[in-house]
Amino acid sequence: MIKKIYLIGNPNVGKSVVFSRLTGVQAISSNYPGTTVEITKGYLRLGDERIEVVDLPGTYSLEPTSSAEEAAVSLLGEYPKNEIVVINILDSTNLERNLLLTLQLIEAGFPILLSLNMCDDAAHKGISIDIKKLQGILNVPVVPTCAVTGTGIRLLIERIKEATSIKRGELGHEERWKEIGRIIEQVQHLEHRHHSLREVLEDASVRPLTGLIMAAVVIYVSFKIVRFVGESIINKVTDPLFFNFYQPALEKMAFYWQGKGFLFHLFIGDLINGKIDFKQSLGMLTTAPYIEFGMVLPYVVSFYFILSLLEDIGYLPRLAILLDNILHRLGLHGYAIIPVLLGFGCNVPGILSSRVLESKRERFIASTIISIGVPCVPLQAMIFGLLGRFGGFYVGGVYLVLFILVLTLGFILNSILPGFSPEFLLEIPPYRFPPLDMLVKKLYFRIKGFLMEAVPVVLIGVMVINILLYFKVLDIVTGLSAPVVNGLFGLPKEAIVALAIGFLRKDVAIGLLMPLGLSVKQLFIAATLLAISFPCAATFIVLWKELGLKDLIRSTLMMIIVSIIVGTALNFLILR
Amino acid sequence: MHKISLVAFKTKHKGKVAEILGGVNLHNRLMNMGIYKGREVTKLSHIGLRGPVVIKSGRSILALGHGMAEKIMIEIE
Repeated sequence: MIKKIYLIGNPNVGKSVVFSRLTGVQAISSNYPGTTVEITKGYLRLGDERIEVVDLPGTYSLEPTSSAEEAAVSLLGEYPKNEIVVINILDSTNLERNLLLTLQLIEAGFPILLSLNMCDDAAHKGISIDIKKLQGILNVPVVPTCAVTGTGIRLLIERIKEATSIKRGELGHEERWKEIGRIIEQVQHLEHRHHSLREVLEDASVRPLTGLIMAAVVIYVSFKIVRFVGESIINKVTDPLFFNFYQPALEKMAFYWQGKGFLFHLFIGDLINGKIDFKQSLGMLTTAPYIEFGMVLPYVVSFYFILSLLEDIGYLPRLAILLDNILHRLGLHGYAIIPVLLGFGCNVPGILSSRVLESKRERFIASTIISIGVPCVPLQAMIFGLLGRFGGFYVGGVYLVLFILVLTLGFILNSILPGFSPEFLLEIPPYRFPPLDMLVKKLYFRIKGFLMEAVPVVLIGVMVINILLYFKVLDIVTGLSAPVVNGLFGLPKEAIVALAIGFLRKDVAIGLLMPLGLSVKQLFIAATLLAISFPCAATFIVLWKELGLKDLIRSTLMMIIVSIIVGTALNFLILR
Repeated sequence: MHKISLVAFKTKHKGKVAEILGGVNLHNRLMNMGIYKGREVTKLSHIGLRGPVVIKSGRSILALGHGMAEKIMIEIE
């Protein structure tokens, strides 16, 4: 009786794609090691039974060297070996390195079957593997699969019951590699292929000069596309929908409603010159949907489109090589670029993925830097929306301030925290070109996640604010905080409401600044402060979970101190 | 036989790992990735200013931090 099925394999062999195929549960997959840092679970129907399937983070060996690997290995020991099946997923294009884990699993007595994944890729590269022979040598079922297209998955499911543990003597490290060498010689046949354009590009992107040029081009083009796609969606889709259809309908409703009562205030908000103004009315049916769907969502779509593309192609680890130098000065190493880039989408997955870093020290530095200096897409979209009309100078200015902050903070943390920054040892995946439907699926999954999380919070945020404003509760708070907000930062005292709401969601917070009629300088300071001050509630909870209470408090204290210093400095020194 | 570190070793050249300096932890991490004494590797690139070294071993491409690359000694004639 099988109680659980575990998927295990080296990093970046496509475990999460196989997992999605087996369970129907969509899991994020990318072309770099360490996409899965959390344990994902789903169910597979096998005859009449419903068996839990667990997708483990990638590991090179059963002797773990990172916390994600440790999690994978310790989970394997949860159930007695005769009650589980381990599906070992291997990358057919790199069988040799993958077999280490396989031999260890067999030696440890796990009932396993092998899924030789990416079989189509192997064929492209002129690699053929004699499946029957491999099965004969190892004595376990072997199924060639191509999870991206679904080939071989049915056969894999059929053969799950054949998995049995076999006896095999335990080998020493070097003997194991020698044994693998012998196996490879018997089962793998290489056909010589000329260097393809793909390989030339792969090579060029890790060399110093050509690599830097490529990186500059990739970053510039990505940024341009994110803006272009985001703006196009706003101008061609969302704005016409809001202004040509939604607004007239709402205004008709407002006209019949007439009353100025509490509910009108709550849902529609204030009329500006007798009309609804999506940016200023501040109602649950006016400003709330406009912020989320009209200002933020278009950029969420364009950002995740580009990020997903870069992830799946496999460019990000190459960027990590080029940035290793700089990041070392901040107490991190090159691979920290992955959590940072994810953090630009949303700080939550960014901080979660800092688990790919080895030490607690690095994870503390990375999480703190992300929550202070890396603005998420909703925040950035609002900064563009508000400051964009004053020209690129101000938008660029916010980024410049954040960038300088990240460098300074990292440098300081690296010098005062005990310990050192470890070196990275990173596998660089080949470039792959994902089928379009995989890309669309991933984009859909991420956008859905964003909407499920954002929409309720935005509605609640606007509701709470409206109730507080209507009953004039906020006057007390604004009065109390006036010395700091007005005295130090030069903002009107009402801005404290926006800064405080930043704890719920940053986009709503900036939305609250819109009706205040701020000057460019005030907008600049408020937007910068919202970026660096307190993280939103969701980020806060993740920080707590990942860092523990003590480090959370340290990190938070730093945010408050940094906000006060930066806000005051901007107000009195830089933007006089 | 003469030994030099992977950092000093010439780019685009192939050589055998002669020795790995450093502790058990480094040994194990490298061993898990298939880098051990006697293994043949090709150096693909080195990002200057104490940047990482990129090597090819079997079918894998690996990037190693500068300090780690300094600890891997390569046999030369």
